[in-house]
Amino acid sequence: MSRKLMSVFLVMMMLAVLVPTALAAPPAQEEGQDYIVVADDWLSKLADKYLGNPYAYPAITHYTNQKHAEDDSYAKITDSNLIEVGWKIYIPSAAEAKAYLEAPTVKTVATGEDTIKIGGVGPLSAPGSVVGGIAMKFAMELAVKDINEAGGVLGKPVELIFADTEGLPERGAAVVERLITENKVVAITGEYHSAVGLVELEVCHKYGIPCLFSETWSDKITASGYPEVFRIAPASSMNARATAEWFAAVGVKHLVIIAENTDYGIGQAEKDQKFAAELGMTVDETFFVELGTEDFLPVLSRIQAMDPPPDAIRVAVTGETSYNLEQQMAELGIAPTEKTIGTANQVAIQPEFWESVPNGTYFVFPLVGLPPSLYNDITNHVAEAYKAQFDTDPPSYALEAYDSVRILADAIERAGTTESKALIDALEDTDIVLAQGRYWFKYTSKNPLPTDGSVPAYMWHQWPDPAVLLLQYFEPNQDWKEAAVIWPEVYQTHGTSYIVPGTKP
Amino acid sequence: MGGIHPVVVIWLVLAGPVWAAIGAWGLPRVYRRKGLDDSQARLVGGLGGLTLGPLLVAPLWYFTPELERWYWGGGPGILAALELYTLFAALDPDNLCVTNASYVANQVSNGLIIGFIYALMAVGLTLIYSVQGVISFCHGQFYMLGGYVSYYLLQLVWDVNPIVGVPVAGLVTMLLGFVFERLFLRPMHLGRIERAGEYAILITFGFGFFLQYTVLAAVGPFSQKADPYLGLGSFRLGPLNLIPNRLVAAAIGIVLIGALLYILNHTWLGRALRAVSMDKQAAAVVGVNPLTMNTLAFGIGTMLAGMSGAALIPVFTWVPWVGAPAATRSYVIIVLGGMGSVPGALLGGLIIGLVEALGAGCYPDPSKGAAYKTAFGLVIFAMMLLLRPTGLFGREL
Amino acid sequence: MKHRIDSPLTSSRYYRWVAAGVLIASLLLAPIYLNRSPYQMEVVTGAFFYAILASSWALLAGVAGQFSFAHMALTGLGAYTTGLLGRDLGTSPLTGIIAGTLLAGLVGLIIGLLCLRLRAAYLALFTIAFSEIFRIALLTEFQYTEGSNGLQLAPLYEGITPLAEYYITLGLLLGTMALMYWLASSRFGLFVRAMREDEEAAAAMGVNVVRYKVLIFVITSMIVGLAGSVFYHQVGIITPNTMEILQMSLVIAMAVIGGMESLLGAAIGAFLSRVSLELLREINIMGVHIEFGAWRYAAFGLLLMFTLRFAQNGLLYPIIDWLFLRRARQEAVAKRKQAAEVES
Repeated sequence: MSRKLMSVFLVMMMLAVLVPTALAAPPAQEEGQDYIVVADDWLSKLADKYLGNPYAYPAITHYTNQKHAEDDSYAKITDSNLIEVGWKIYIPSAAEAKAYLEAPTVKTVATGEDTIKIGGVGPLSAPGSVVGGIAMKFAMELAVKDINEAGGVLGKPVELIFADTEGLPERGAAVVERLITENKVVAITGEYHSAVGLVELEVCHKYGIPCLFSETWSDKITASGYPEVFRIAPASSMNARATAEWFAAVGVKHLVIIAENTDYGIGQAEKDQKFAAELGMTVDETFFVELGTEDFLPVLSRIQAMDPPPDAIRVAVTGETSYNLEQQMAELGIAPTEKTIGTANQVAIQPEFWESVPNGTYFVFPLVGLPPSLYNDITNHVAEAYKAQFDTDPPSYALEAYDSVRILADAIERAGTTESKALIDALEDTDIVLAQGRYWFKYTSKNPLPTDGSVPAYMWHQWPDPAVLLLQYFEPNQDWKEAAVIWPEVYQTHGTSYIVPGTKP
Repeated sequence: MGGIHPVVVIWLVLAGPVWAAIGAWGLPRVYRRKGLDDSQARLVGGLGGLTLGPLLVAPLWYFTPELERWYWGGGPGILAALELYTLFAALDPDNLCVTNASYVANQVSNGLIIGFIYALMAVGLTLIYSVQGVISFCHGQFYMLGGYVSYYLLQLVWDVNPIVGVPVAGLVTMLLGFVFERLFLRPMHLGRIERAGEYAILITFGFGFFLQYTVLAAVGPFSQKADPYLGLGSFRLGPLNLIPNRLVAAAIGIVLIGALLYILNHTWLGRALRAVSMDKQAAAVVGVNPLTMNTLAFGIGTMLAGMSGAALIPVFTWVPWVGAPAATRSYVIIVLGGMGSVPGALLGGLIIGLVEALGAGCYPDPSKGAAYKTAFGLVIFAMMLLLRPTGLFGREL
Repeated sequence: MKHRIDSPLTSSRYYRWVAAGVLIASLLLAPIYLNRSPYQMEVVTGAFFYAILASSWALLAGVAGQFSFAHMALTGLGAYTTGLLGRDLGTSPLTGIIAGTLLAGLVGLIIGLLCLRLRAAYLALFTIAFSEIFRIALLTEFQYTEGSNGLQLAPLYEGITPLAEYYITLGLLLGTMALMYWLASSRFGLFVRAMREDEEAAAAMGVNVVRYKVLIFVITSMIVGLAGSVFYHQVGIITPNTMEILQMSLVIAMAVIGGMESLLGAAIGAFLSRVSLELLREINIMGVHIEFGAWRYAAFGLLLMFTLRFAQNGLLYPIIDWLFLRRARQEAVAKRKQAAEVES
């Protein structure tokens, strides 16, 4: 029975491939030609004029970049939406364009020898964090589109196969197994939940396939020490450290932590406690709450009964649960107040924040990634595409997901092969500037971790420089890009490391 | 031991449960042997044994008085609460619930306010049960839907106070409830479905499943929240810290439950509904169509769920999966109050609100109290099933 | 005059045995084809696990008329028991599995004693609440249970292969199916069915209703506890999220769509639903890429409702019935007719 289903499915797949091929546009141009860009040109317009199909513009990008590789006088098109007057580009013949355009469609279901397959993983259905998974998938697809428009990797198009982990470790292990054995992907990237990532990396290790994690914070991920495992998100210790240092700098002595009872919340609370102790602060109380709690008054009343009130409240709760907590905290006048610093979860940059937390002025929240002032062209490009899709700025996990696909593409290009060992070797030598800045890995097989324990184990194959910033809103309904960057000092936008509630910077 | 004699503690910890077991096990048998009504004996025996031991169990054993009046259960119940509190104070003398009266007052007021909000949803569920004899397993999804209807109405169509969304959401969920009842539950009442009891559980469950994922697919997993009813911030009233928004939501709950009680007790419709809930055949004889009343009851029930969702969306952040935990809480409430009893659901809602607030607020390990908030309800649930499965106001099993 | 009635049931019985034999043989031989892909093997092995859950749920709900939402929680209980014992006391998986099965049975006994003297709805309500609380407790007591990171379980034995796991799970499925069929067709099953149809009449006939109800609840609890503790040793990790009501909903939907009153129907339903949910993630029709995401669950809910309303025996049971049981019925009718003729 299931075989029958399978064969019906396969027949449908084959139809899906054959029909578009048959319907391809008729040729409009017999021979390819060089072309100098003039004002008011854009690629789809040229494609329409010379190739009879506005959607054929990726072919122009592809062949121009191919020529660029041999001859510098041709421009290199990195972004198909952006061509400049005076550029020399190559418009292929209709036959060439057709060959290029049809190639990837046919190849996606062919044996897989002609595309380079990258496996993406993330939660697309509950109980996973669907919001995170959707954003990551979108960003990865954008990266693949950009790579292919720029000519692909090793002359072949890149194909992303994104699998839903549902936020369940056992599902994560199963889909990674499938991606590796069934789809023959050359590398795995993505993931949002640490619990799932910790299982997935075992599968990667089993098959020796490189695994580049884009948004899993648990220290244990890179502390596994596996040669296959890389990470470009901050380890949760790095994140906790930044907040703790800021607390110490603004004179916090007594701290209260509210954390969700998940891997994220528990891990974060443990680290906060550790760093607070190291930096001479006291954690008066740690409250664990169930994700999905709506009413926080029982906990908040406990804080209200504290005398004197704590100097700061640290929130390690995610998603809509954090909004409920933050709003009730502010509404009751517990924090942020003149006496107590209120921190919010990083989802405070989402546009829903102000709807859910109308009293959210003066909350301090972490931002993993670059401050808006340091956005580069790639960041802006991703932000624009993301905004067009979701009507909001990309969260760090979208930028990381975008970058991780491009890091893999870059490594494959440098390795000149998709063979795992060579690819891992190339990944270790990564040095590339992407949406979140310059990526490199400090501790690798060429520069192993010191054996004396002076460097924490999670620094293995860990991007050492993820920016962890603290931002603070100081006006109601403020766009997060307008919020003050208060930490670290080098990035400060308003010359202060804390805006006391009730004041303006 | 906080100034309390250890003997008291030992009595409460060791002897109390033994006498409770003797009372709960033995008294119903004594009553049955004498041919008396034993429905209250287990509860009174258990609580009486726990609190006063042989002092109460022995006289009951010999004199076997009628236990109909509320104080037979309520008296030992209040006494048990006091004794347990004393025990708690003795074991954990530094607990905020022992040392800080205004803290306790705050938790109690918060618990009662949220209790009215909980009760509104549970009242709809219990009404459906009393008339239809069906537990609706899609009640949480109607609650979720009510919130969304109000939200989209207010955000996208009108820009008015969210209180306007409450009746509109009620109307939409009521109509949907009517349609669902006509299509899927009426055939069951007409006897076209074999094994109706199981069918009712599954069909409502399936509809809830369908609603939840349809809404999820349609609005996405992003969170939403309506504008607040009133200005922001809290205000102080004596030792109490009150949030105006919640007070409005609780007031909506009180008004709606009051209106429902009035309708049930003082109008023809209410009498007809109650008649059907007591005896369908007899109701039909006096000219009440049970099928119409079934549909009406289901619609009113879903309307109350939708209205409580709409009342809460200005207070809590909304996502498509808010329904399930809220529904679970409602199940506990109606079992506690007695399935089918509207005043019972009101009382049950208040008790659960209190238990959650005080449980989370007084749990000895503060770091875990809040995480176990929903678990305290289950403890009550299990105790109720053990001692008095009919609930506080229940009629039958 | 004596008529020799042509061995009335032999041919249909023969037919059924052959069908069952072919089914079992093809399941036994399937790895020859599946072995090429560990992933497909894993999907099928997982589907066997869900088949055990769905068919035991069908025994409980369809045959005995008891609605439990605690199936997933009890599998989790079994898995956590063996996992924690193995981690903290170093017991072997076998000891752990036995302990997990017994503990699941014990918890089933307590739930059963609490709820089963009451109406069906109480059990449904209580088990929903129980599953939630159990999940929350596992999350909150993360020092012992690893919380949402999940508890790692050792493999059943060192160097176990996917092939061995396939056969172990298949063996478990066949074993539990056989046990449940035997139960359903025994005197015990007859009592249980009688109780479902008319509890008072059964009680009047001297059946101790509560005892039988509790007993069947305990048996199914042990079956799922066993399945959970074995299966999660193969998966290698168990997380509290496995116990979300959604997962339980899927098991119920599978059983209903397959045919609640037929153990085999429920098992096949679970198997097919599992495989099709896997295939339906996204499809390409005529070059149009469709992602189902949440819609496929919505469709599943709708299918569940319409199955209940219009095909109470499920979608698969009628097929099974038509294939295997129709002839038996026809022959039985023919036999009765013949016998009636003889008498006249």
